[in-house]
Amino acid sequence: MKAIALFFILVSAVFGAQYSMVISKKVPLTLISVEQIRDIYLQKRRSVGDQKIIPLNLVGQEPSRIAFESAVIGMGRDRLNAYWVKQHFQGITPPITQPSHESIKAFVQNVEGAIGYIPSSMVDNSLKVIYEF
Amino acid sequence: MTIRLLSLFSIALLSFAHADNYELGHGYKVNDTINVGGYFSTEFESNRQNESFTLDDVAVMAYGEINPMFSYLAEAEAVGFYHKNFTDGTEVGDQKFHIERLYGDMWMSDDFNIRFGKMITPIGYWNMEPINVLRDTTSNPLYSKLLFPKFLTGIDINGYIPKTEGMRYHLFGQNNRDLDEEYINIPNTHFFGLSVEKELSMDWHSGGSIGEFITKTSQRTRFFEANLKYDDNQWQIMTEALISKSEYADGQDDYALSGYAQAMYHFTPEQALIGRYEYFNDHHTDYKDNIAILGYSYRPLYPVSLKGEYQWHSLHDENRALFSLSVLF
Repeated sequence: MKAIALFFILVSAVFGAQYSMVISKKVPLTLISVEQIRDIYLQKRRSVGDQKIIPLNLVGQEPSRIAFESAVIGMGRDRLNAYWVKQHFQGITPPITQPSHESIKAFVQNVEGAIGYIPSSMVDNSLKVIYEF
Repeated sequence: MTIRLLSLFSIALLSFAHADNYELGHGYKVNDTINVGGYFSTEFESNRQNESFTLDDVAVMAYGEINPMFSYLAEAEAVGFYHKNFTDGTEVGDQKFHIERLYGDMWMSDDFNIRFGKMITPIGYWNMEPINVLRDTTSNPLYSKLLFPKFLTGIDINGYIPKTEGMRYHLFGQNNRDLDEEYINIPNTHFFGLSVEKELSMDWHSGGSIGEFITKTSQRTRFFEANLKYDDNQWQIMTEALISKSEYADGQDDYALSGYAQAMYHFTPEQALIGRYEYFNDHHTDYKDNIAILGYSYRPLYPVSLKGEYQWHSLHDENRALFSLSVLF
């Protein structure tokens, strides 16, 4: 787990950030800490300041999702699965999933407060980067 | 009756398992407003007097978001659904379902939420995950079932404490009887308390609670609880302790003190060894015990739990072996 996280940190340091956490440009939020992202994706918090946030995840086991869970959430698959099973008993469900980076981008563009991660090469003027990994 | 209910339960379970929106341990998502799931556990116990099998904790639950501000959870459970004593051959069962939880959540902000209805009392770690499949031993520490009401029928105002890093609070109160008095460890008429929990890091958590409750027999108890947990996914170490002072209807007062320390080591992702030491001392009932537990846990999938443990009690006739299979679906 630590080795995977270290790998992504090294890759990011050498080649620049691979993925960007984005939000609609219309939203006044400019930066978000890794702890805030983690709490939002674990459904412990629902907002940053006064802004309600809707987290989006990629469906399945895509490399970007594995990178996100290791480098940002800081939890491997087994630990996350155990976490969500426990949350099921508490009546809490995981974030919404989308089938592709394109659909994450479209969702973020159209829904205020939605955040998601996409390859940095897909970022354009309609989106604001609030975190990179 | 038991067979008929078990058949219905099995059919419902198999129907879930073949549904598109179903995942074991995550429930069946009907839509954003309705998620359904449940759990059950079976237990085999062997002690000096008896050997017995119990189908316990058969439960169904539903939850969901009505809108971005309001969500709900409802859960019904039958305890001691079927019990067979192999030593004397007796069979008993109680198929009556009780309301385990029934509450609504109103989200105002991350700092201020209101939960109202019947809920699990927000105290400590063990009490918040009270079902067999989420625990790592078949047995519960005595602290979690004898010293404070496990459920609250009232209001819990909760959230993050502003201007703190990862510190949460629960301010809870009940000024009435429990929603289902047959189904609570300590029937009470008043229950108030404050819990705080602090996430020190991804792996370290700590917290504590203070509170007061008045039982139906007019026993007034005040308590203080503290807890600490370390969890790095390979090692988990947790400890909780509670001290209480009770004033009884006859004018007497007395103390109770209890706590445990538990260590768990995962030697594979699915398998773990668990050791626990418990201390329990209720001066009023003169019930004092030291309990050591050695256990083994196997989860082929996280929501399926097979466990075995042996308990050594300082009260010598209470040593026992426990085995269980439990599933969250």
